[in-house]
Amino acid sequence: MTSMSTTTTAASGTATALAREFAAVLPETCVITDEVGLRSYECDGLTGFRQVPAVVVLPRDTEEVAACVRICARHRVPFVARGAGTGLSGGALPVVDGVVISLQKLRRILEIDVENRRAVLEPGVFNLDISRAAGPHGLYYAPDPSSQQVCTIGGNVAENSGGAHCLKYGFTTNHVLEMEVVLADGSVVTLGGPTAEQAGPDLRGVFLGSEGTLGICTKVTVRLLRKPEAVRTVLADFPSVEAAGETVGAIVDAAIVPAAVEMMDSLAMEAAEAAVGAGYTVESPSALIIELDGPAEECDEQFAEITRICEEHGSTRIHVADSADERARVWKGRKAAFAAVGRISPDYIVQDGVVPRTRLAEVLAQIATMGSEVGLRVANVFHAGDGNLHPLVLYSESAGEHDKAEDLSSRIAELCVELGGSLSGEHGIGADKACSMGRMFTDDDLAVMQRVRTGFDAAGLCNPGKIFPTPRLCGERPGPFRPHPLEEAGVISRL
Amino acid sequence: MSTTSLSPGSLVELRDAVRDTPGPVVATGAGTAADWGGAVAADATAVSVAGLSGVIAHNPGDMTVSVGAGTPLSDLQATLAESGQRVAFDAARVRRGATVGGLFATADAGPLALGFGSLRDLVIGVTVVLADGTVARSGGHVIKNVAGYDLAKLLHGAYGTFGIVAEVVLRLHPVSAATRTVALPVADLAALPAAGRAVTDTPVEAGALEVVDGRLLALLEGTEAGVDGRATRLVELLGGAAEVLSPADADAAWDAHRATVDRRPDDAAVLRVGVAPTRLGDLLTGLVDLGGSHVTAAPATGVATLSVPADPGVVETVHARVAALGGTSTLRAHPAGADVPAWGPTPTSAVVLRSVAAAFDPDQRLGRGRLAPWLPVPTGASA
Repeated sequence: MTSMSTTTTAASGTATALAREFAAVLPETCVITDEVGLRSYECDGLTGFRQVPAVVVLPRDTEEVAACVRICARHRVPFVARGAGTGLSGGALPVVDGVVISLQKLRRILEIDVENRRAVLEPGVFNLDISRAAGPHGLYYAPDPSSQQVCTIGGNVAENSGGAHCLKYGFTTNHVLEMEVVLADGSVVTLGGPTAEQAGPDLRGVFLGSEGTLGICTKVTVRLLRKPEAVRTVLADFPSVEAAGETVGAIVDAAIVPAAVEMMDSLAMEAAEAAVGAGYTVESPSALIIELDGPAEECDEQFAEITRICEEHGSTRIHVADSADERARVWKGRKAAFAAVGRISPDYIVQDGVVPRTRLAEVLAQIATMGSEVGLRVANVFHAGDGNLHPLVLYSESAGEHDKAEDLSSRIAELCVELGGSLSGEHGIGADKACSMGRMFTDDDLAVMQRVRTGFDAAGLCNPGKIFPTPRLCGERPGPFRPHPLEEAGVISRL
Repeated sequence: MSTTSLSPGSLVELRDAVRDTPGPVVATGAGTAADWGGAVAADATAVSVAGLSGVIAHNPGDMTVSVGAGTPLSDLQATLAESGQRVAFDAARVRRGATVGGLFATADAGPLALGFGSLRDLVIGVTVVLADGTVARSGGHVIKNVAGYDLAKLLHGAYGTFGIVAEVVLRLHPVSAATRTVALPVADLAALPAAGRAVTDTPVEAGALEVVDGRLLALLEGTEAGVDGRATRLVELLGGAAEVLSPADADAAWDAHRATVDRRPDDAAVLRVGVAPTRLGDLLTGLVDLGGSHVTAAPATGVATLSVPADPGVVETVHARVAALGGTSTLRAHPAGADVPAWGPTPTSAVVLRSVAAAFDPDQRLGRGRLAPWLPVPTGASA
């Protein structure tokens, strides 16, 4: 397992030789070899995993990226692509004696094509900047991870990022049309094309969400959407998490597809309220943020229906955000909730499991029990519409609670799998959950995924050690596979 | 294709059939697209997935369903409709009994792709049998899921190469309470992109937008009052000759669209093409000059279907013109024996296609020839 403590750069001779080769294809300032410089790349948003790389390079265009990759390939040195480093699963964690290829200098918006409603971007462009650039034309880019001010489109491609509004609008994979990709041997290929519909196998779709293990995206074309005519947002308090969960079910049953449905529990609201004063009722056991968008007449009609459903399910307060400012305030609290938890706990771990939406109440009850059993608090902020949980396990590093918290967090993700869900909805597997993959997939499933990897990168140089459990990372064997509950019930069969 | 044919009735039987049958194997379903794509090896054994049919698990509250790959989509839609749900997918050949697996393997799509994408976007889990008998799953039963590689994408549009899809899990959408279709005459194909933008620049949000028989059809889906208001607004905004079609006229117009897309002419080749929307009008105008006919086009997605003379040179030219615009083209129905190219110029990504194929099926037993020449038939193998 990658150690919690920092390992100093080994094989410095190799590093020096590599750096010399990189310096032949890049300006000297774009090759980092000093200890302090290297250290700023030792982890991503999952700060518990750290590894100082041998060399960091900052290529400025596709050709330089390809040249760097070719050097790595020639020396059989593993490399890790990195965007803004905001990932929460250790996808950009460096490899021992490996190279980090930072894409932060490829940050141009190459084109906003208004008529075709698409944007051509370098990977280092910030997610929110796409919508900023498209905004004057009445267009926007739909996937909106909470980190959208600072995360890059290249990272979104690697992780197939979602966001609060993916309930209606889908994930990164539903919005990328075409990519330029540097393969692990340094060759450059195009995946996808100018239309969503493509002839032949969808290699673009295979690459999206592959967490940097199949190559490096150096250019990406995304779809832009017309801004909806109307947006209606409501913040509704509920006397219990169950009541809020049932409300979400009733909305689905009413054939309404909201743009977003977010749930927060009292602990999360307490933290968010202390941080940004979003107007949440901190005494309320739970609250939903429900947003509708679309043509005005339909939006109004469905909004009235949703308000009625909330009342029917015992909502104790319905606050309609009736201005853009007020809507922004409600969302600011939600998006700040993770960081805000720092106000009520010295340390915390963000989890990202998914359950079938109908099992929300069940999983939340179990999480609460598991938390109290080990004496840790768990705050819940999540995308209720699609069952994507973000339990925040609160702990104190200084009180020696880290391992206990890490264990609880892993068990929560594995519980999601047991309930018929997934280890990760949007943060990725990375280094963080690789050892849990055996809970969700059989050895055969994983071996077939490895065949894909072999096809793209036979030498295994591209971000090794991520996604797949390895004996080195996980001990002798990953956790045992458990059959899907539907299999156990005899509803589906594996063989 | 040889006359040998196997009809497994379960996943286990499918695995055994694939693993134990010597030589090339081609997966079949309802046979609605048997001649699409490249010609399969002459001596391939047909393995039908029609026996893997029916709903495995439908979870209405989660809006997901898992089905056998051999399930006819029209049957599935009928079942789902009882719960007010649907697969938001409407490829034309569904009316001929096309199976979920076949529609997925051929990357087919219909007008609703504008609003909902194609099966690549709607399939959230897949079970596949590889040439060596390995059975693997990816994805799962939840809509939001980024754990592991998305094998479904590799199999979407793979025409039964790489593996044979046995089961899929689909995300569902509610059946719309009401629909309206607004029609607008379109003078000629060159005017198509502008006509499309005239609709997409309004706030009414069309769920499908297609040109057929000289008219642009805009499908509005939603609540009764909602679509009524939107249709009225759209007609006002478009002005001129735009009109809301009566339910009977709307049905007839969309039926005509399906019939045109799903043509099986005995003297022409049907091609599916896609380019950036702004290039679509000029491309199609040029292809009509080349003898193209029976055009349907989606001005907002850039995808069109048309018939051209079943002449190798003509089809080659279509592929080349589309490729020159960076676009995508596939051969669909064509007369038996017409030696017309299935695919356009080999893309740069074919190098990946080939190496992934080598890892999945080194002898290329599954669907041999279907993706040729992108995926060439191995030297010495039967073609």
